[in-house]
Amino acid sequence: MRNRIWEIILFIGPSLLLLLIFTVLPVITSLFLSITDFNAYSFLDWSKTNIVWIQNFIDVLHDDLFWKAVLNTFYAFILAYPLTIFFSLLFAFLLNREETYFKNFFRLLIYLPSVTSTIAIAVVWSWILNPKYGLLNWFLGFFGIPPQEWLSNTRWAMLAVVALVVWKAIGPNMLLFIAGLQGIPEELYESAEIDGANRWQQFWYITLPGLRPVLLFVSVMLGIGYLQLFEEPYMLTGGGPLNSTLSIVLYLYQKGFKAFEFGYASSVAFILFIMIFGLTYIQMKMRIYQD
Amino acid sequence: MRRKILLIIMILLIILSSFSFSQVKTIKIWAMGEEAKNLNIMAEKFTKETGIKVDVQALPWTAAFSKILTGVAGRQVPDLAMMGTTWMAPFAAMGAFEDLGNYIAKSKVVKQEKFFPGSWETVVYNNKAYGVPWYVDVRVLYYRIDMLKEVGYNKAPDTWDELYDAIKKLSQKYGVGKTGIGLSPTEPANFMPFVWQNGGDIIDKNKNILVKNPEFVEALEFYSKFFKENLVAKGGANVFVDFESGLLPMFFSGPWMVSMIKEQVPKITGKWMVSVMPKKKTRTSFVGGSNWIIFKDAKNKKEAWSFIEFMTRTENQLEWYKILRSLPAVKEVWENPELANDPMTRVFREQLEDAKSTPIVPEWDKIETALGRRVEEVCLGNRDVKEGVELLYKDLQKILRK
Repeated sequence: MRNRIWEIILFIGPSLLLLLIFTVLPVITSLFLSITDFNAYSFLDWSKTNIVWIQNFIDVLHDDLFWKAVLNTFYAFILAYPLTIFFSLLFAFLLNREETYFKNFFRLLIYLPSVTSTIAIAVVWSWILNPKYGLLNWFLGFFGIPPQEWLSNTRWAMLAVVALVVWKAIGPNMLLFIAGLQGIPEELYESAEIDGANRWQQFWYITLPGLRPVLLFVSVMLGIGYLQLFEEPYMLTGGGPLNSTLSIVLYLYQKGFKAFEFGYASSVAFILFIMIFGLTYIQMKMRIYQD
Repeated sequence: MRRKILLIIMILLIILSSFSFSQVKTIKIWAMGEEAKNLNIMAEKFTKETGIKVDVQALPWTAAFSKILTGVAGRQVPDLAMMGTTWMAPFAAMGAFEDLGNYIAKSKVVKQEKFFPGSWETVVYNNKAYGVPWYVDVRVLYYRIDMLKEVGYNKAPDTWDELYDAIKKLSQKYGVGKTGIGLSPTEPANFMPFVWQNGGDIIDKNKNILVKNPEFVEALEFYSKFFKENLVAKGGANVFVDFESGLLPMFFSGPWMVSMIKEQVPKITGKWMVSVMPKKKTRTSFVGGSNWIIFKDAKNKKEAWSFIEFMTRTENQLEWYKILRSLPAVKEVWENPELANDPMTRVFREQLEDAKSTPIVPEWDKIETALGRRVEEVCLGNRDVKEGVELLYKDLQKILRK
């Protein structure tokens, strides 16, 4: 038995240690920071730091930019979430059909965006969306649609960000759905067909229930990912114009690593954690995911 | 056995040689941008003269602030660094820099009266000198001679009214949205000169907030008018391409642009010029630039100081001007024919007489963010000037209370 313990420590010890140092410790530190006014001036002289208890949280909740960021983030979430699920499910169906040619080629193509770095993608997208030289405006020009300022107009900027986010997320989620679809036994469909069920009924009573675990996994991961929206607006718009693409994490970043108000930023992080936790909890409890 | 002895000898040799190397002093420098790329030319000269080696590490401008900050926090700093003028106050307030008062008092080379007053102001925090000016940067108006001629301006717009009139006429001629002036809704170095030209400011020496004064309000009204009437260049590729294509016939920028435009778009050489700022009450522009500082945790302070003295000497300031065309902070250098006879450099010299820096207060970063946000809301959003100023006032109250 003693040997077993050493074996266990040998195998999971290193990763446990890393997890402790790089995840658990920072989380605890950040939690502590959130009740202090730790900022750039306290760096050299830690005694300048004061414990302010919940003052940071009160300030955050009275901060109109924070609420703007919350609104923006949820706006992006509400748009991107169903779109991502719809498109990944659609492509999963199409690429799971026996009749589809070049399946692997298409799978590769759709997965490609998520193996490329977001930074590189965002640079390319910002050129596609460029109002004067961009491909999109050039293309729309054929239909007589006047050029739009995709990234510097408050109406379009967030939609541009959402489009990039969805486009990037389709690939991996499609793969998950394909795996889920392949896990549904073929016999169920055969017997349903014999019983006279049509395509729609098959989808509703066999496919969807069969996909439940995958659907739950995908929506939880999407929820966590989308509430942490950061790279895309950071690269594409920097939060502008007029803070219309400022997301919670981007705001946190600006407060923490631009203004160096670490205490304040930590409080924002903590509030975000509560939001994500709440959302995930609701998703887990939702009936469509339960058997 | 023989092998072991050989190994021991080798190890000893390595240790010994590293000792003998450390006999030669090496100073470490952090520098940014183009300066970092070209600093080695000066460093080699310095090494030849003094025998002190120089190790220049380049930081990108965008990451420099946080790199310096983490360096200071972790006490992992080089001996000296180039410091943007607006960054002096926050780091000085943190206690990151060495007070250079004693060094300056003893020095034969570095003396306050040698520098432009506006530039010297940027090294002083709480009545102590924490740096030595290296080069200055002052914003002027870049304009296309040929395009302005087409709408009846044989020289650069001289007043606020002329500036507005010129771009309005250009936009009528080329079509609205096809051409415009280069103004940034968020960049204070772009906006603040207009406030100063109108005799106002954002805060005064005693940190009283001045944004509700008519001078500030009027400047914001004028500034936002360009945006509201679609007279600002939008959606271009980059400054150079747009300057050439005519999308951007006028913009405000610093001296580094002169050589860059010549390099990037040589086709329009001769078709563009620089000019002092258009006048309202004054022609005040923004003066920035970079200073030399020594870190408090530096290991080789004496050697670092000798490098600063080296860079301040007239002949070296001149040589640096020849390398990068950045403007010398030492006044004497400007008498050299190389500078005095250059028509563009002369414009910068004239503008330097009437230029000021944004307030040297540690809160500047936050003030800048708030200012950028409210100016943007007025320029691009639906906020009217009065409301924007009112909100900015509240923001500043919050920031300065601490």
